[in-house]
Amino acid sequence: MKKWIIIIGSILLIVAAILYYVFIYAAQYKRNVNDEKAIAITAVELVSAYNNNESEANTKYLNKALLVEGIVKEVGQNQEGNTTITIDGANDFSSVFCTLKEVIKNVEVNKKINIKGVCIGFTSDVVITDAFIQSKN
Amino acid sequence: MKKYLFLMLLLSSSYFLNAQSLLSTKSGVAKFNATGGLVKIEAVNNQVDCKMLPSNGQIVFALLVKGFRFENQLMEDHFNENYLESTKFPKASFKGYITNIATVNFAVDGVYKVTADGVLSIHGVDQKIQTPGTITIKSGKASLKSDFSVKLADYKIAGSYIGEKIAAEANIQINCNF
Repeated sequence: MKKWIIIIGSILLIVAAILYYVFIYAAQYKRNVNDEKAIAITAVELVSAYNNNESEANTKYLNKALLVEGIVKEVGQNQEGNTTITIDGANDFSSVFCTLKEVIKNVEVNKKINIKGVCIGFTSDVVITDAFIQSKN
Repeated sequence: MKKYLFLMLLLSSSYFLNAQSLLSTKSGVAKFNATGGLVKIEAVNNQVDCKMLPSNGQIVFALLVKGFRFENQLMEDHFNENYLESTKFPKASFKGYITNIATVNFAVDGVYKVTADGVLSIHGVDQKIQTPGTITIKSGKASLKSDFSVKLADYKIAGSYIGEKIAAEANIQINCNF
């Protein structure tokens, strides 16, 4: 009799843990790129890697945290009001386009910047999302 | 003299039309909704790349599947790994023409109904589609909206999802401000 109580009790506990994971923990957990170790790369290197061989660059950088260094080419705002920063890639058709996770007002064009974010691929720009500014001057 | 003036006016107006350069944005919005049951399956992508040529209506969209953000991380992981296989197929795109672009007067404020005809590519599968939309001109700025549905089976999107029910047709809303 005691055995049964333990068995049923532990099954219930496991079920509760799974339900907790699926419906509560997973629903709340969000990837935070700030906690991840990033691959350091310059915007020029990144743009040329993607323009030379997109699939090879994807195996190296897609879905990875990157720390991109470069010169600010353009500052904008998306429809949610978050800041977007285009980093020069020394290529007329292609740059690194970053969407920040926050609103930053004092980003200046033509200044050096370091941005950490997740690389999600290549359209005509290399696109970085969920980004944070690490340093600027 | 009058004739020449008219000719000049005609020429300059056609020049004006040609001078309408490429409209583009990198921060267009795409919303995805495939709610089938009680739990909502919704995601937003804020990095839609869109280019449109007002002179002939040519239009190109490109978006990166890994840019879709769900409220639920587990759902986002399933979406990427099991359904869209975004490591294998990182991009989705639409290439085509707005067939009735001539009805849109980019110089006059208003809401214009348009139809786009072209090829939608999702999950590595190309499908010819025709979709309605609107172009809004407000104080010289153009914006483009479209709302359409795609059958997931048409794009060979099939996964098994635990817990939630996914709809057979996903609704996609596009909003680009140029």
